[in-house]
Amino acid sequence: MANKAIAASAARAAPRPASGVSAFFLKHEWARGYTLLSPTLGVMIIAMCVPVFMLTAHSFWTQNYLTIDKTFTFANYVQFWEKEIYFKLLVKSIKISAIVTFTTVVLAYPMAYFMAFKVKKNKLVWLILITVPFWTSFLLRVFAWKIILGFNGVINSGLISLGLIQEPLEFLLYNPTAVIITLAHAWAAFVILPIYVSLEKIDRSLLEAATDLGDGPVSRFLRVTLPLSMPGVIAACLFVFIPTVGDYVTPKLVGGTEGIMIGNIIQSQFGKANNWPLGSALSIYMVFGITLCVLGFLLVARLITKGGSLKAS
Amino acid sequence: MNRVKFIDRMAQGKVARRDMLRAAAAIGVGVSTMPLKARAANNITAMEWAGYEAPEYYQAYVAKHEKAPDFSFFSTEEEAFEKIRAGFPADLMHPCTYSINQFKDGGLVKPIDTSRLSNWPDVIEPLKTWSGVVLEGDVVMVPTDWGNSSVLYRTDMVDPEYMKDESWSILFDEKYTGRVAPSDGESNVEIAGLLLGMSRDDIFHMTDEQMEQVRPLLERQTKVARFYWTAQAEAIAALASGEIVAAYAWNDAVKTLTKDGIPVKYAVPKEGIFTWLCGLTLLNSGEGDEALTYDFLDAWLSPETGKYMIEEVGYGHGNRKSFELAAPEALAALGFSTDPTQMLSDGILFQPVPGDINTKYINLFNEIQAMSGT
Repeated sequence: MANKAIAASAARAAPRPASGVSAFFLKHEWARGYTLLSPTLGVMIIAMCVPVFMLTAHSFWTQNYLTIDKTFTFANYVQFWEKEIYFKLLVKSIKISAIVTFTTVVLAYPMAYFMAFKVKKNKLVWLILITVPFWTSFLLRVFAWKIILGFNGVINSGLISLGLIQEPLEFLLYNPTAVIITLAHAWAAFVILPIYVSLEKIDRSLLEAATDLGDGPVSRFLRVTLPLSMPGVIAACLFVFIPTVGDYVTPKLVGGTEGIMIGNIIQSQFGKANNWPLGSALSIYMVFGITLCVLGFLLVARLITKGGSLKAS
Repeated sequence: MNRVKFIDRMAQGKVARRDMLRAAAAIGVGVSTMPLKARAANNITAMEWAGYEAPEYYQAYVAKHEKAPDFSFFSTEEEAFEKIRAGFPADLMHPCTYSINQFKDGGLVKPIDTSRLSNWPDVIEPLKTWSGVVLEGDVVMVPTDWGNSSVLYRTDMVDPEYMKDESWSILFDEKYTGRVAPSDGESNVEIAGLLLGMSRDDIFHMTDEQMEQVRPLLERQTKVARFYWTAQAEAIAALASGEIVAAYAWNDAVKTLTKDGIPVKYAVPKEGIFTWLCGLTLLNSGEGDEALTYDFLDAWLSPETGKYMIEEVGYGHGNRKSFELAAPEALAALGFSTDPTQMLSDGILFQPVPGDINTKYINLFNEIQAMSGT
């Protein structure tokens, strides 16, 4: 990002005589780059780097009830492997997030496609309509699902009044599936928008060319549209996958006894259990877990898109 | 065991418009007086559960000083603890017997000189020396509010046999799979210990070995429970709709559901009913006037406050005179007698669990929850 910004500002700077401060800035590319970046950089350092540094430092300390022992140790990292729950829970959280990501992308793609290709007038209205649920807080959206899926909820009372069921369905709420449904909806806009943007950017003449060369709608979609929209799909996947792994509010509210995720344990370590160092170490394992998954995903995505664009060419 | 009482009452529709406005006004007053603190440095700051800022709880203080303390709200004691430790200058805090320990261990507690409290002689006798009220010989908490924790069940939905033999075991019974809601937290470890026949003291000081003994029972509970509630309103709603037949609950839940015509009964489990006791603790982190903090404690202990709590809130009070002052029907509705001493000594009081053991309880409960469904 930094390099890009520097390069961009360098490209625009035309050599022209100047003096003083502006001369300094004109002469030094890096100065222009960093000045442009400085507000963002400042926020990043204060809001990101400092907490991450604190987290890392804590993870090498230990806490005995109320006192933090600042002797350097790997004890917390070792503890992660001593009890199988942490690893299992991390895997479970990653699995839930992966399902959420997949579900959201599959459900959102048609919506984005529709907006990019079928909606001709009032696109802005559609965009706003999609974001309407996001004008309320995340928590409210989670609660909304509690009402929809609940014992006396919208689905159950609807089915009962239609006479399809006699007793309310109980498998709807308080299980991992409820967590997946809730998260898939809660993050939908973050998926629709990037996919929409990448679909919107596709040069329509490419689609015409594909048709001229004899591609039907399905193969045209698979060989041209889908590969070209991959950047949006990949971005969307990352937008959803990364934050949902560590979520703890949704599992707490709709997950019941089986829907607990790694975020709940981390939260408990920082709160009730009073063990910040272990909580920090768990967070760091979680970050590594996510990083590994994302790298693996990007690798696979790259292989697929390469294959796709080869076919398309 | 976090008690978001005001929110609970609000969710149940028990808060009248006036109460609501009063609460809103209190928050408004609290917020608007915050900047004044720098100038009027001697006003006191109380850390409270939301809802306890209502002036009814400390009428005498308002009458005398014509102002309320500044309030800061918390939803769990751990949250309050972290905030105070991080340097928040609070004079008072509202912990319970089971949570006072960490404040004491964290070196935040200031011993209370009971001779400065005019209502202290009227405090229910056994409460004066109760573990948690007194720690290491010092009075560290003025006992203000108390009540029970027990099983609340639907009389029309449980097995009739259960009503003859009420027990905590219903919260662990496979027969009621998906039909019960325990509360979220380590109290389940204590209840499981009780079911295994551990003594009323042992359940608060389990050895590692004993913890392993309760593990299978807790594992079964995670399979049996429909959910673990974090706000009592969730359990009340689920009981009302028939989603669950039994839940862990406090006295006020009985009042709410009975008023709505739902056939429920508050069990007196054969293993024993729990009693919780909360109170006010003086903190050494405060910057307020010490005399004001004592006036505030004394106001809380007044029988008028107790009458309000018994009649309007549904909890017991630390002053024995409140039980004579309160309307007999209000006492009967809560299942209280005019002699609170008997009730207190019948119940199993939540004792402070020593810090390191408490952490083990929390980890045990977390671990079992985490393992279910993996």
